[in-house]
Amino acid sequence: MENTPIEFNLNGSQVASDAKANERLLDVLRGEFGLAGVKCGCKEGECGACSVILDGLLVNSCMVAVGSIQGSSVVTIEGYRQTERFNVLDRAYASVSAIQCGFCIPGMVLASECLLAKNAQPSKEQIRQGISGNLCRCTGYNAIVEAIDIAAREGKGLW
Amino acid sequence: MVNGYLPASLQQALEIRAKEKVIPYGGGTDLMLAADEKAVYLFLNKILEIKTITIDESYIRIGAACTFTQILESPLIPSILKAAIQVIAAPGIRNVGTVGGNICNASPKADSALIFFVTQAKLRLGSSKGERIIPIREFYLGRNKTVLAGDELLLEILMPQDGLNNYYYQKVGVRNALAIARVSFAALLDVQEGRIKHCSTAFGAISDVIICREDIDAMLIDKTLAEASALKAKYLTSYDKAINPIRGRVSAEYRKKVCLNLLGDFLASNGI
Repeated sequence: MENTPIEFNLNGSQVASDAKANERLLDVLRGEFGLAGVKCGCKEGECGACSVILDGLLVNSCMVAVGSIQGSSVVTIEGYRQTERFNVLDRAYASVSAIQCGFCIPGMVLASECLLAKNAQPSKEQIRQGISGNLCRCTGYNAIVEAIDIAAREGKGLW
Repeated sequence: MVNGYLPASLQQALEIRAKEKVIPYGGGTDLMLAADEKAVYLFLNKILEIKTITIDESYIRIGAACTFTQILESPLIPSILKAAIQVIAAPGIRNVGTVGGNICNASPKADSALIFFVTQAKLRLGSSKGERIIPIREFYLGRNKTVLAGDELLLEILMPQDGLNNYYYQKVGVRNALAIARVSFAALLDVQEGRIKHCSTAFGAISDVIICREDIDAMLIDKTLAEASALKAKYLTSYDKAINPIRGRVSAEYRKKVCLNLLGDFLASNGI
């Protein structure tokens, strides 16, 4: 094993991490890169609060060892919030008060993005499947489903 | 990187596997549950040779490092496998979790392994010295124990193509997403010209390993549906004796009752 850094693209910039390959991507993003929008909920892949987009796909960053992402691309909520799609989701979530404590929201928004990127006009059932790995203990989900439905309609052409 | 190797080719991976004490890492979704800071991973997630799904005259060939999402999106994959994979966890897990990891983690609750049992799939194992192909039903020695040698990797799953259309699959869990099976059951019944040509059943999550009883299922082979109906009570009684679930998050009695209910429903849904 050579002691070379792990290189990947993080929110559009090339970065190098000196973390051990077996460390959780979650811990590296929060500890080394200071990205506190990646929330640590369960470290068991159950809650989705640590969701990030890895090579275009939603993943739970607690379940990913950082050595496996050498050469990959990671987008966290901090990077995603610079996009027009984020603005549409932001307005939609706010319009129906889909946020209470907010802890699940970075993961929920990234799950919304990944769903809409795959299916720009999802049914309510498909929305529920898209966010099925993201737990929210405040809202009861209905407002979140509504928000994603609104974003799909308002954001026509963006996804 | 330290505590990990990211080989670019299968040959490189097999050489590292032969020389070093490493833990093969598919998608990490089981391994990272009990993340060990001393672990040295052999990352297999970027090796293209074991990430493809192809078909030949006999088998659907699924690379061990294929993710669940990749399998769900492939037109080559039969419905019985998709039925089990689409209820695994949630999108964020399916996007990285691999079928090879699901098999080699050697849990009797592994959702994809149940389907490979009932379809009598084979596994292609490889090392730097050569390859071997074994039936998946001979792969497990017990919970978390397999016949995979210290220098071997699971390379590919070979799934038979025929007789998969008439399937039955149920996963009993406590919720729709992110559920670990409390009992899972899959079955195949191939009826041709009024006679049962093939019957195969598999029970998951009730014991240390997935349970298949070819000897009991053989009772129904070459029978008409009417003859099978006459044998139904005997068939169910045989399974009642053969299935001895262990207690887990739920009681053994509950598991047994669910197994027999699912078996009965499988037969009833086929007019038996």
